Amino acid sequence: MARIEAKTDVTGSVWKITTVVGQKLVPGDTVMLIESMKMEIPVIAEDGGTIKEFRYAEGEAVTEGEVVAILEG
Amino acid sequence: MSSQTPPASHFDATLLAYEERLARALAMGGPEKLARRQAAGVLNARERIAYLCDPGSFIESGLFGTSGTFPADHGKTPADGKIAGFGKINQREAGLVANDFTVMGSSSGATNGRKIGHMKRVTTQRGMPLVFLGESSGARMPDTMGARGMGSLLGNDGAQYQRLRETPWASATLGLSYGSSSWYAALADFSVMRKGAVLAVSSPLLASLAIREQVDPEELGGWRLHSEVTGLADMVVDTDEQALDAIKAFLGYLPSHHNEAPPVRPVPAGSGEGMRDIVNLLPPSRTQVYDVRKVVRTIVDKDSFFELKPRFGKVGVTGLARLDGRTVGILANNPLVKGGALDTDACEKFTSFLVLCDSFNIPVVIFVDTPGFVIGTDAERHRAPGKIMNMMNALALMTVPKLSVILRKTYGQAYLNMGGGRNSDEVAAWPTAEISFMDSRFAVKVVHGLEPGDAGFDAALAEMDRASEVWDAASIFAVQSVIRPQDTRDYLVRMLEVHSLRLTKGVGQHLMRAWPTSY
Repeated sequence: MARIEAKTDVTGSVWKITTVVGQKLVPGDTVMLIESMKMEIPVIAEDGGTIKEFRYAEGEAVTEGEVVAILEG
Repeated sequence: MSSQTPPASHFDATLLAYEERLARALAMGGPEKLARRQAAGVLNARERIAYLCDPGSFIESGLFGTSGTFPADHGKTPADGKIAGFGKINQREAGLVANDFTVMGSSSGATNGRKIGHMKRVTTQRGMPLVFLGESSGARMPDTMGARGMGSLLGNDGAQYQRLRETPWASATLGLSYGSSSWYAALADFSVMRKGAVLAVSSPLLASLAIREQVDPEELGGWRLHSEVTGLADMVVDTDEQALDAIKAFLGYLPSHHNEAPPVRPVPAGSGEGMRDIVNLLPPSRTQVYDVRKVVRTIVDKDSFFELKPRFGKVGVTGLARLDGRTVGILANNPLVKGGALDTDACEKFTSFLVLCDSFNIPVVIFVDTPGFVIGTDAERHRAPGKIMNMMNALALMTVPKLSVILRKTYGQAYLNMGGGRNSDEVAAWPTAEISFMDSRFAVKVVHGLEPGDAGFDAALAEMDRASEVWDAASIFAVQSVIRPQDTRDYLVRMLEVHSLRLTKGVGQHLMRAWPTSY
């Protein structure tokens, strides 16, 4: 099982976590929404896998390139 | 080639010797090495050629070439490790160079260098694409060592790495690729990479010797690096067969050479069937994002969108497609990533794609939804002004038709880079379009000094929003057409017909044919 890191493309704050730990995602699925530049920008799972953990909670600040969730696939 | 047995003659012994030589030349690096490849699920060079070319169409050039430097190598270098020839790919002529890694790691030597030079000359002079199936250990040792080795083997063809884009080049990196194999991948118009392959200047061993630390091959030149960071790989696939299929598909969109228009294909059934609901692909709120590729796929001919560099510069989307059977180049902002704000990677991706399209007579369609350029210190460190102007210059130098469609936002300088004003032959907009120098909410602060919650903020914002609607642009002819979203496919098909280059039979001026092949 490979460890897959889901990273945010933008600096902002976690707006909504739209998935739960244990949920299976296919490539292209949204992991969570980041509020940035007055827009809701999704963090997309580039590779499919099962969500193992979230690194941030709703409302917390994130920086571009940071890992916000770990998947296993 | 006919293999009919001739009647007995005085030359039987000579002809038998020919057959023996032929068998040795076709045996590549021998059964053991070939078996190891097969066990690893990797095709050998001749299997790759057979898969790529129409059955029976491959005719080889230089089958009996061998290493010419040391006599001891003659017998163990079939085809000198690089198989060259001509074959038909989906009934169209092409030149091929397939590296045979089982023969001295397909290293570059004097004879195989002559073979590549011949393929480049013939494909350029006769007007056909050139395909490189790359896998190579680099320059052959010890042949290239010393001043005599360097003088004999390198630099004797001043046009070896010259690219004037007379015919399309496609490259597949299908194994360890160092030296010339990587150079041809970088020079190609389309570069596909199989996962597990490595594309680098030199091997991890040499790199480790140079910097005295262990170098991981994947980190040095693996598929993630080249698809996500460098952008040198236009596409990544899992198998050799998928890589060869990708080359067939890519060449299917392009003309055989720069003096003809791209081929026209039948329009697949079901094309345009999603147009009625296309406006619903936009989210209800302007703060929400969407994947512009769904809009593109709905508009172009069914299943014809061939995306390039999908993991690099993802705020921009580039790809070839067909509209009414005719090849078009698609550029689009993708709000799904960073809201569609253009960064330097996307500028490079757009620039190289514009050069490709203009060099091979492919009209361009631009779908616009961007809040502007990513700004800040990081952008400046990445030479944002240079990249933005490279793209702008490429757009201005294009001589093929270029049409733009504004779906939602277009702000500031990005309005121009995405074809606004006279930077497209025609600008169309959906009624959902907004055009301004910046987002209204920022503009209220800049112009009026008002923040949300201040008295007068809402009224000022409402006025800014109204002034950003498309109608003012249409009233002064800055936008030539405002169209219903569901009519976009029909509009583009018709407008491409209007703008076809009928004075030159679809051929442009190729003003960027000598531009760099990467940035």
